[in-house]
Amino acid sequence: MKHTWAMAIDLDRCTGCGACVVACNAENNIPVIGEAEAGKNRLMHWIRVNRYWEGEYPEAQAVYLPIPCMQCERAPCELVCPVYATYHNEDGLNAMVYNRCIGTRYCANNCPYSVRVFNWYDYKWEKPLDEQLSPDLTVRSRGVMEKCTFCIQRIRRAKETAAEEGREIRDGEVVPACVQTCPPGAMLFGDLADPHSEITRKLKDPRRFRLMEHLGTEPRVVYLKRQKGAGR
Amino acid sequence: MLDRRQFLKLGGATAFATLFGGCDKVQSRLIPFVIPPENYTLGEALWYASVCGQCPAGCGVVVRVSEGRAKKVEGNPLHPVNRGKLCARGQAALQALYHPERLSRPMKLSGARGSGAYTPVSWEEALSLLMGPLKKGKAEAPGSLLMVSEPMRGHAGLVAGRFMKAFGSKHRVAWDPFGPDAMLSANAAVYGVRDLPEHDLANARYLLSFSGDFLETGISPVHYAREYGRMRGDRETIRGKVVHFGPRLSMTATAADLFLPCAPGTEGFVALGIAHVMVRDRLTAASSAAGRLADDLGAYSPEEVEKKTGVHAHDIAAVAEEFARNQPGLAVAGTGAATGPDGAFHCAAVALLNVLAGNVGTPGGVSFPDRAQAFAKYGAEAALLAPSPESGYGGMRAALEKMRGGAFRMAILSGATNPAFTLPPSLKFNEALSKVPFVVAFASFLDETTSLADLVLPVPTALEAWGDDLAPVGHAGAITLCQPVVEPLHDTRSMPDVLIAAAKELGGEPAKALPWSSFRECIEKAYGGPGGEMEKALQRGGFFGESSSSRSASRTGSVAFPKAAERPIDGDPKAFPLALHLYPSLTLYDGRGANLPWLQEMPDPISTAVWRNWVEVNPKTAAGLGLAEGDGVTVTSPSGKITAHVAFNPGIAPDVAAMPLGQGHTRYGKYANGRGENPITLLPAGEMYALQATRVALAKTKLSTTLARTGNPEGQWKVKNMM
Repeated sequence: MKHTWAMAIDLDRCTGCGACVVACNAENNIPVIGEAEAGKNRLMHWIRVNRYWEGEYPEAQAVYLPIPCMQCERAPCELVCPVYATYHNEDGLNAMVYNRCIGTRYCANNCPYSVRVFNWYDYKWEKPLDEQLSPDLTVRSRGVMEKCTFCIQRIRRAKETAAEEGREIRDGEVVPACVQTCPPGAMLFGDLADPHSEITRKLKDPRRFRLMEHLGTEPRVVYLKRQKGAGR
Repeated sequence: MLDRRQFLKLGGATAFATLFGGCDKVQSRLIPFVIPPENYTLGEALWYASVCGQCPAGCGVVVRVSEGRAKKVEGNPLHPVNRGKLCARGQAALQALYHPERLSRPMKLSGARGSGAYTPVSWEEALSLLMGPLKKGKAEAPGSLLMVSEPMRGHAGLVAGRFMKAFGSKHRVAWDPFGPDAMLSANAAVYGVRDLPEHDLANARYLLSFSGDFLETGISPVHYAREYGRMRGDRETIRGKVVHFGPRLSMTATAADLFLPCAPGTEGFVALGIAHVMVRDRLTAASSAAGRLADDLGAYSPEEVEKKTGVHAHDIAAVAEEFARNQPGLAVAGTGAATGPDGAFHCAAVALLNVLAGNVGTPGGVSFPDRAQAFAKYGAEAALLAPSPESGYGGMRAALEKMRGGAFRMAILSGATNPAFTLPPSLKFNEALSKVPFVVAFASFLDETTSLADLVLPVPTALEAWGDDLAPVGHAGAITLCQPVVEPLHDTRSMPDVLIAAAKELGGEPAKALPWSSFRECIEKAYGGPGGEMEKALQRGGFFGESSSSRSASRTGSVAFPKAAERPIDGDPKAFPLALHLYPSLTLYDGRGANLPWLQEMPDPISTAVWRNWVEVNPKTAAGLGLAEGDGVTVTSPSGKITAHVAFNPGIAPDVAAMPLGQGHTRYGKYANGRGENPITLLPAGEMYALQATRVALAKTKLSTTLARTGNPEGQWKVKNMM
């Protein structure tokens, strides 16, 4: 069965706590780069929580926006890769083939959401911190672009388990690390190809919007606007 | 020329050499898998349930273990506190486990006390070094033993408590810098229960937060964040509304629908203003019945409160009316309100609102489950297993006084609360400890406190140890079980294990009080041992089925009116124009997370800064002082002076400067040291551990460091363009 993976992020629930960021660090072997590199805006995080200020004191307010890779249906990053290192996979995800990547960084340049991060160095895990590295993923080397994969290793595992047991993947059976840990339950992940999945229902919410819709990138990450006041 | 025959010969020889040449080498990289270890299948992960030890909230975790190594910590979906969710600090428990600077074996001091020069010794030698002074002390002056730990829950607390009692010393201090002392005494005054309340956010329709920090660093952030999410979005037709009062736009404040800034240290007056309107206008049944409070509340009309707090009178009246109309509603006070010199008043005033709304012991309100009931079979000793979550500041001060007087011959230190770092330096913890002839520390890392010890004994982390736990809120009396999810990485022994062994060697009373051979046996005896109920409970993560009876809040009918004591904070407003607002860091908590790189590199939600601390000021205040974002400043209080970088917070009151706690380590390893200075050094040493206790002055200075901020890499975006 063909899947259409999608993520919903309910900004009415998001508190900006950053649990998703560290969960992703742990799941995806994301290196720690240190203060100097962080100052150059080279954080390797695959999901970040943007904070925007709105208004002035005393009406000042902050808006949080967790931003993973949007897994665009019409992805600007894919078009510019000269070596076909980033491509559209069978489930419609933007996948990366690290071995093909030659580090032109055209894709990062063309991504309107700035979610692609580049390995400027061979980052090291001081022993025994390397014991924690997930065996499901590679550790990327210098000169390679990387980004959020919707935890493709979890999707693959769920597919294998389902195939072994001769069934379809159940709704909610596979969730990325960020969605799994999100304390207020602001994130939801599922298959839009399944008309009965929770996410299909959730995305009928009139609050839905996508980042920079005018660009026509058709992101697979859909946000739900914050609400105001009591009641609905 | 190489003919065919020679080629084959050569080829055969090469093949032979390749095939068998490796026979004499010991395989070090491949795993010979003739007889695999138990529970060990390549590529197959196993999941073990345990408890997250990164803060006192006591969330249940499941750890993914692959080939004998812990790979990921996740929330335990069955655990009543966090239901499968986990915060950033909990995720980072892995880095504490596999930290390169973890203590791997016992060490004895080899230089001057505090020099940090240690030599590794064997456990036999370490134990004999420990037993010498212990035996001597027991024989000559049993009262001269001091134990300073973090609050120990479950059977670890029982072992430590019994050990001290049998030894003959009553000097046991549990130190927790964020212990909610003010809230406990307020709850005793208002509800008649000296315990932590359980706030039923999920069923509330309205939430008043007074400097609340329940989403970031409160008593149980993951529990309340989950409840908050349910309050917002889990009901078909109701969406709970949140109103936040406080001097700073914090992460919790940004989650509110309405943020109404108030002057620092005035949260309680806002609450009384709301109470005034509720009683005056008879907005709820309970507030109509509380007419006798009208006299006391007379002085807190919204207009009067506006003068004091800066919150508009019509806002107070409108919020009071909305709060009364949208019941059930909750009022919660956070660390910012509770840790001023007048914290108990603020907490009591906020608690009064719950009483006036009639929400004590109702769904969507405040309740007080009887936590100690889970350990009722221990009778009077139950308090050792479920200790009060107090900070222990009073006990700490008394102990410091006695240390200086030379009352102690030996001190046992344990836990992550690091008093040398978290106590105001004017209390002179280091100096007092130097008066104790022999200091032994149980620790996973050298920090400012443990590096003052004569003997450092390495302990396993929460992911490598046996134990049990009772979370402070959100559990309905459920006991969490801890088990080692991986083989202990280093040659470590837990503190209860060492105490049990020491008691055995001391003989007599102590040996009788701790009759087990190991702490694991203690746990197994307590929970029925392997094979029985305990095995199932270990798989699930604990005993979750039971529900505890809720204690009724006894005194809600005749609540005492909270009296404001008007204790001014330190510093002349002319010389020190800004009130200093210190708050626990979302990532580093009280500073214990500062050595974990993931947490250092997680951007702060308000300042977006990483790896260093900062001082938050209102952009308008900064403009008046000639400060730009990222500038270096000296922060001067009557008690101390530090430097930091400026970060703008447009939602902070103009007369406030705010700093996160947690940075400023000097002896906590390479990831933590030298990342700014410790703002606790600005605090006076008062009667209470008060974080909002001083005023400061800012002055521009040049710093050699810069503040790395990770705000929006896309730069040019405005949030309006995106949504």
